[in-house]
Amino acid sequence: MTAHREQPAGRLGGSTLFWLQALLIFNTVLMLYPIMVMVFSAFRSTRQIYSSSFGLPDFTNFANFQRILADTEFLQYLANSVIVTGGAVIGFLTFGTMAAYALARYQFRAGPLILLVFLAGLMVPLKLAVIPLFVQLKAFGLIDTRLGLIGLYTAMGLPSTVFIMTGFLRTLPRDLEDSARIDGASEPRIMWSIMLPLTRPALVIAAIYNAVPTWNDFFFPLVFIHTDDRKTLPQGLTTFMGEFSTDWGALFAGLTLSALPITLVYILLSRQFISGMTSGALK
Amino acid sequence: MATSSMRRARMMRRLWIAALVAPGLLVMTFFVFVPIASALAYSVFEWEGLQRGAFVGLANFATVLFSEPYGSWTWNAFRHNVIVFVTIMVVQNGTAFLLAYALFCQPWGHRFHQVTVFVPVILSTVIVGFLWKLFYNPFGLVNQLLRAIGLDSLAIPWLGEPTTALGALIFANTWHFIGFPTLIYLAGMQRIPRDLIDAARMDGAGNWSLIRRIIWPLVAPATTVVFVLTFIGSFNWFEMPFIMAGLDGSPFGATDVLGLYFYRTAFGNQSSSLGDFGLGSALAVLIFGFVLVMATAWTLYLRRREIEF
Amino acid sequence: MRTTLVAAATLAATSITGTAGIGMASAQELTFWTWRQEDRAAYEEIFAAFSEANPGITVAFEAFEPTQYQTILSTALAGGAGPDIAHVRAYGNLEAIAGPGYLRALDGLVDVSGFSELALSAETLRADGQIYAVPFASQTLVIYYNTALFAEAGVEPPETWEQFIAACQALADAGIFPIANGTADAWQNEIMVGTLVPSFYGTDFEADLVAGTADFTDPRYVEALARLEELKPFLPDGFTGIDYSTAQQLFINEQAAMFAGGTWEIANFRSQNPDLAFEIMPSPAPEAGADRYVSTFFDGGFALTSVSEQEEAGLALLNYMATPDFGNQLVSLLGNISPIEGVEFTDPMIAEVAALNQTAVSYLMLVHFRYEEPSGSVLLQQAVQRMMAGEATPEEVGRNVTEGIATYHAPFQN
Repeated sequence: MTAHREQPAGRLGGSTLFWLQALLIFNTVLMLYPIMVMVFSAFRSTRQIYSSSFGLPDFTNFANFQRILADTEFLQYLANSVIVTGGAVIGFLTFGTMAAYALARYQFRAGPLILLVFLAGLMVPLKLAVIPLFVQLKAFGLIDTRLGLIGLYTAMGLPSTVFIMTGFLRTLPRDLEDSARIDGASEPRIMWSIMLPLTRPALVIAAIYNAVPTWNDFFFPLVFIHTDDRKTLPQGLTTFMGEFSTDWGALFAGLTLSALPITLVYILLSRQFISGMTSGALK
Repeated sequence: MATSSMRRARMMRRLWIAALVAPGLLVMTFFVFVPIASALAYSVFEWEGLQRGAFVGLANFATVLFSEPYGSWTWNAFRHNVIVFVTIMVVQNGTAFLLAYALFCQPWGHRFHQVTVFVPVILSTVIVGFLWKLFYNPFGLVNQLLRAIGLDSLAIPWLGEPTTALGALIFANTWHFIGFPTLIYLAGMQRIPRDLIDAARMDGAGNWSLIRRIIWPLVAPATTVVFVLTFIGSFNWFEMPFIMAGLDGSPFGATDVLGLYFYRTAFGNQSSSLGDFGLGSALAVLIFGFVLVMATAWTLYLRRREIEF
Repeated sequence: MRTTLVAAATLAATSITGTAGIGMASAQELTFWTWRQEDRAAYEEIFAAFSEANPGITVAFEAFEPTQYQTILSTALAGGAGPDIAHVRAYGNLEAIAGPGYLRALDGLVDVSGFSELALSAETLRADGQIYAVPFASQTLVIYYNTALFAEAGVEPPETWEQFIAACQALADAGIFPIANGTADAWQNEIMVGTLVPSFYGTDFEADLVAGTADFTDPRYVEALARLEELKPFLPDGFTGIDYSTAQQLFINEQAAMFAGGTWEIANFRSQNPDLAFEIMPSPAPEAGADRYVSTFFDGGFALTSVSEQEEAGLALLNYMATPDFGNQLVSLLGNISPIEGVEFTDPMIAEVAALNQTAVSYLMLVHFRYEEPSGSVLLQQAVQRMMAGEATPEEVGRNVTEGIATYHAPFQN
């Protein structure tokens, strides 16, 4: 559905608008300043960071970055993280939306129970299950594989995907669906061509909500991945944080490099993302 | 004829629903429910390292709840989770609502601000935790800033003082995640029918009465989502305190929360203790049970007050 | 030369006692897991030397995140996976892995005659008295001091506690942080006790503790804690918020004159700041002429796992790891204090550590009270952190720790 570009919410008094504006500017500064410090510090030596965090660094000083790229398998870790997170996002969005659609649009007896089962998955302390999980993954040959992680993260992303999608799908009006049904459209057809296109904002929310922790997780890769060239970025990151713990310059360079890919993706997609997330899909 | 085709249709519908729900349930069963069921069963056994010992009934539960020093550790961590939940709910989500309203009013540059508010959310918690840990260092950015504006007396070791450590963690967490509730609220506001707002404006409603009478009640579904996710998130809080305050909840338990406590009880802490799977599992069962019951109750209660429109 | 001969003899002995697999044409690859990721290059060099002496066996090195290593290793072993040879820790951590049967007992399979009783006891399972790992290094807790900063403040290395306090005062007056350590990381508190004040309790107290005739409310121990508390003014500003890496940095960047820490720091300090001029000393003596103690413990060992299907090749490697030849490589490549008899310490500082080890007390909690929960370490770390923040007295610390341990340790229950 096309995003409505609307009038602002009524005519606001000048002073209210001023305060809201000030709030937003203050917030933006607060959000960006630490990130700026992180990037700037990546160009400083530890001693410089230590004495003062202010002022412009020498942006031609790539020594810290060179150390990180030379001493770690950074690019390999990055590729692994992309594969694992990408696979998991496809997994939980597909299965999660399917289940949520059934739960939100059809009345059936087991429905509430199934929803509860999914929700329970949101609260389980899965770290505790690491040993049975290990045994089970090993039995299926999934230890030390990226596929094992993809499956696991798909499962971990499913509950909140179902939660968010069910909530959203439930608010879609019935008339569209009913008129399509009267026209003789099959249920899969209704779902695919009529309802799903309306769910984009919720899909984006569910994707981001789960992709971020998936991208960030370091516990399960630590336990399940043993071979260096299958390690994920946060797993590699914890390794080099131990190694460079007293070299703040290199640390900031490492943090900057690891934040860079997902930040670039976000900035490139921000227009679609934000409008997808907030456009009034319902009118 | 009619009944048989109806039966066939009902059959088809059932198959269709089953086909939609089954893959998700299968994945969940394989990766979550089967392992967690065996893990939860651990709580009624004695453990030596990773080897299961004798069946001990509810003894592990009794230990973590009532025997010292576990009893006071459990209570201490639980209390901190409650503080974290209430603070995040009020401060983070309250600010998020305000930010969402500011964005909703579409002042100049609102699209830019909409992008920036979400930037920290996409950063890895490893990165954010580490960054803020360096900032809160006695010689770090926060104290450098405070000294620069002449507030030298406020330049304290934020993560070292028992009175400020938890607050400092919550602030860093808020910085990290505030974009999320903000955008959920904004999405909720933009789904409010335009005519309702216009009509209220026509009637001369000010900002405050507009928020109170129209916006707040109508973003109730968003509030439900935010509330429940905050609740679950607060009681499973682990990564941020782990990175910033360590497994011990330094200083002396001032930042200890159930997630850290459970983890180091079950797996041990390299620099101080061995794990005890029985006690750790008992804690996990208690946390899980509490969150499950409370979250379900909240969801049911909050869903009832949502207004259909 | 002598050491190589011994090594060759040991290897010969191993191959005689039935290592059929080794001579075979098929190449065998052993996997080795460790938490020492920074030691990769050194170990690869050592393993290359081993492969040369044992054609057909190669060793693959895999390193893991140190704080999670125990979880990673034990999970893998419990799940039937894992390495052939594992780097394991000592004491309670060893028992957690050896107890459930994930390691092979080495008695009679590996020649451990080159190790002291103390070193072997660190790798022994108390339940069956068998040895489960070949010890690899001992660690000593010492006070590092920056000789340039001492000279700048006109301070001589102190011998007694009184001189130590005077030196701290002089350094502070000269605008230098006397001691770099902070209390933000819980484990640093235990390190400070073991480094700065063991001379106040010493080996007599340890003997009484082991015999069950003393606990941590003992005046000797409480006195030691009280001395530690005296040092609060000489820790950096905001020391409650100073974590381990910040403390290291204060010392490396010459903003603090002393650092209480383990001998594993030597190599790190040297590589981080090659210009840093530092020396080491034991804990100051209570009065002139009294013994000055360091705390020591064994860091861990090399073990053969029960999942390994290459027992003979694995034992060949372990036997090699028990030779002075291997020990010398650990010393020269990594600066580890190998406990193998006949190892030579050419580095003067390492030799000094070996000399200090003659007057050593155990790192008490790790060696004696980290087998059950709540461990002595957990209790002591929290209580000292509290004391240093001004929220507990030394007496309260002693009582807290004793009461916590008493929940499972009979001699403390009265």
